[in-house]
Amino acid sequence: MSEIKSYIKNLLVRRQIIVAEDRRKLFEDFVANETNCTAVQQILDIQKMLMDKWELQNRIADIQQQPVSIPNGTVGKRYEAILDFKKLGWDDIAQYELAGLELPGLDFIKETNTITGTPAQSGDLKITFRFRLSDEPEDTPLKEKQISLIINPDPKTLWKNIDSDRTDPFWKEDNIAAFDKLGDKHIVVASKRGRSHATVGSFRDDDFAYKYYEATGWSIVVVADGAGSAKLSRQGSKIACKAIVDFFTENFNQESLVEFDQTLLHYKKGTGEGILKKLSHFTYNHLSKAAYSAHLKLAEAATETGANLKDFHSTLIFTLFKKYEFGYALLSFGVGDCPIAVLDKGLSEVTLMNWLDVGDFGGGTRFITMPEIFKDDKFSTRFKFKLMDDFAYLVLMTDGIYDPKFVVEANLEKIEKWKEFMNDLQGNNENNDKVELDAGNKDIASQLSTWMDFWSAGNHDDRTLAIVF
Amino acid sequence: MRRLPVYLLLDTSGSMNGEPIEAVKNGVQVMISSLRQDPQAIETAFISVITFGSTATQLIPLTDLASFQMVDLTAGGTTSLGAALSMVANKIDSEVAKTTNDQKGDWKPLVFIMTDGIPTDNWQQGLDEFKKRKTAYTVACAAGNGADTKILKQITDNVVSLDTANSQGISKFFAWVTASIGVTSTRIEDSGKEVKGLDELPPPPSELNIVV
Repeated sequence: MSEIKSYIKNLLVRRQIIVAEDRRKLFEDFVANETNCTAVQQILDIQKMLMDKWELQNRIADIQQQPVSIPNGTVGKRYEAILDFKKLGWDDIAQYELAGLELPGLDFIKETNTITGTPAQSGDLKITFRFRLSDEPEDTPLKEKQISLIINPDPKTLWKNIDSDRTDPFWKEDNIAAFDKLGDKHIVVASKRGRSHATVGSFRDDDFAYKYYEATGWSIVVVADGAGSAKLSRQGSKIACKAIVDFFTENFNQESLVEFDQTLLHYKKGTGEGILKKLSHFTYNHLSKAAYSAHLKLAEAATETGANLKDFHSTLIFTLFKKYEFGYALLSFGVGDCPIAVLDKGLSEVTLMNWLDVGDFGGGTRFITMPEIFKDDKFSTRFKFKLMDDFAYLVLMTDGIYDPKFVVEANLEKIEKWKEFMNDLQGNNENNDKVELDAGNKDIASQLSTWMDFWSAGNHDDRTLAIVF
Repeated sequence: MRRLPVYLLLDTSGSMNGEPIEAVKNGVQVMISSLRQDPQAIETAFISVITFGSTATQLIPLTDLASFQMVDLTAGGTTSLGAALSMVANKIDSEVAKTTNDQKGDWKPLVFIMTDGIPTDNWQQGLDEFKKRKTAYTVACAAGNGADTKILKQITDNVVSLDTANSQGISKFFAWVTASIGVTSTRIEDSGKEVKGLDELPPPPSELNIVV
């Protein structure tokens, strides 16, 4: 049946008209009539035109509503996003352009349908994609579709560097570095305010101190990290460091050391009984008194200022060392989460001089300000004695260095990690910042300070690193 | 790096249709753009969106702020809060890294729930699952008087309410969520300590009533 005939037939059916048997001939003639045929053809053409138009508009609406996601970019980072017409099902787009890509550094390359470049500015951009479908006449105005493009700021530029308040009674320098002789060894040390403090103009909470005691030949290095949540911790770390140095100035003299020197000689020779126990006792006796003197100084400071002792919360680590004819004696104490490590001359072995108060169990870190640490069963394990022929490096650091460089405690025991760390210091890093650990290097302190600006996402605490070599 | 996971549990039941759902979508978008300007948050915060209507769906898996892209939200169906709680429990298991000897795990997740109605599913079962997981804190927001703060109180101590679920109130809620995430990411960065409850967060705006 022809299209025209079936159209007329359906028309009659829709009007509930039944063509009777005896009108069959009349119907056939009606259908064959040229004028009628033309009329039906016109109707069909118009219907088709309407249908096409509807489909076209529907298709345009589909494209306009189709979610098109292109990856977010970051200022300063190479960006490339392809509008893949095939994947998007846009084969029927005959003409298109991209408008609104008005962000410095980005361009649209039409040949490859690629948005590319290195964005120089952040922002939430609405890009307008203008298009015409192949079924639309060429002079049809282009239809519009919005595409979002998010350019993130460079995280590094979000940090501000606001000077801390110099008029504050407990002000301390934001950044400090030093180089010195410690007996026959040398120390390079730097302490830097973390970005998290710099961005709000708050103080550096870390501190350090060191001293060579000429009368006895002993040297000491102390590092302390004031708790971020304690409001006077910057002063706490400072008082703790000073208290330790002062304690040994007053209490470490020839008389008190005679017995230790003799015991050490026995230890070296392997003579005498219970020698190691004696050495441990000596270490415990002297260092625990020193640690407790720091605690008392902090308690005094709290009373004087009318603040709570916990406002001065600070971790504390220190190592005493002295060169004897037969090697180096090292004595350490530690409370908190800052490691002390000694590397031997051949960099074949690392000795940890303390354990870290870390982890969810046990309530996290501990501070020298906490009276309970002195009563704790574990108190006696906070001390360590070690005798070595010589050492390459004695390293003390706060968690601002330890977290980004060692991540977990287990890594501190691995000599490979320490080799990596020393390589990093020697310039094997993103910025090629190098610390030449040579006593003749005049720039050594500033080199260490620069090296300590390394970038590590999520690690913006104060950083203190002391290296004895 | 230790991530700070943030789960948003958003009610997309039929009653949220219209102004509320648009306000929620807008609220999340504004929140993301503003957190992107926060140096601590952009490095540590990871966001996931779980919606609940007749079922619960993780619309966006845990995603860093820099790559996060908000998707369309449509409202319809019932209020499967229980399914959403089960889902977030599962996602915490699969998406949040635990601390081992070789890696530092993520920070404990933050969970923000917003609902305008009473759960229509077996919410107690979902809650039992959820309670077995550790979060730094969970905040539930009852949007409008159709929500039951007594049920939300069983999910968490930290419950706030909005008198009406209109765009102004909802945007204030998200502004406060934004500030809370900001404070939490700063706190962990600064002191390595997690924020545990409402009293350590910025004070909520006047539109938000603290439910005691």
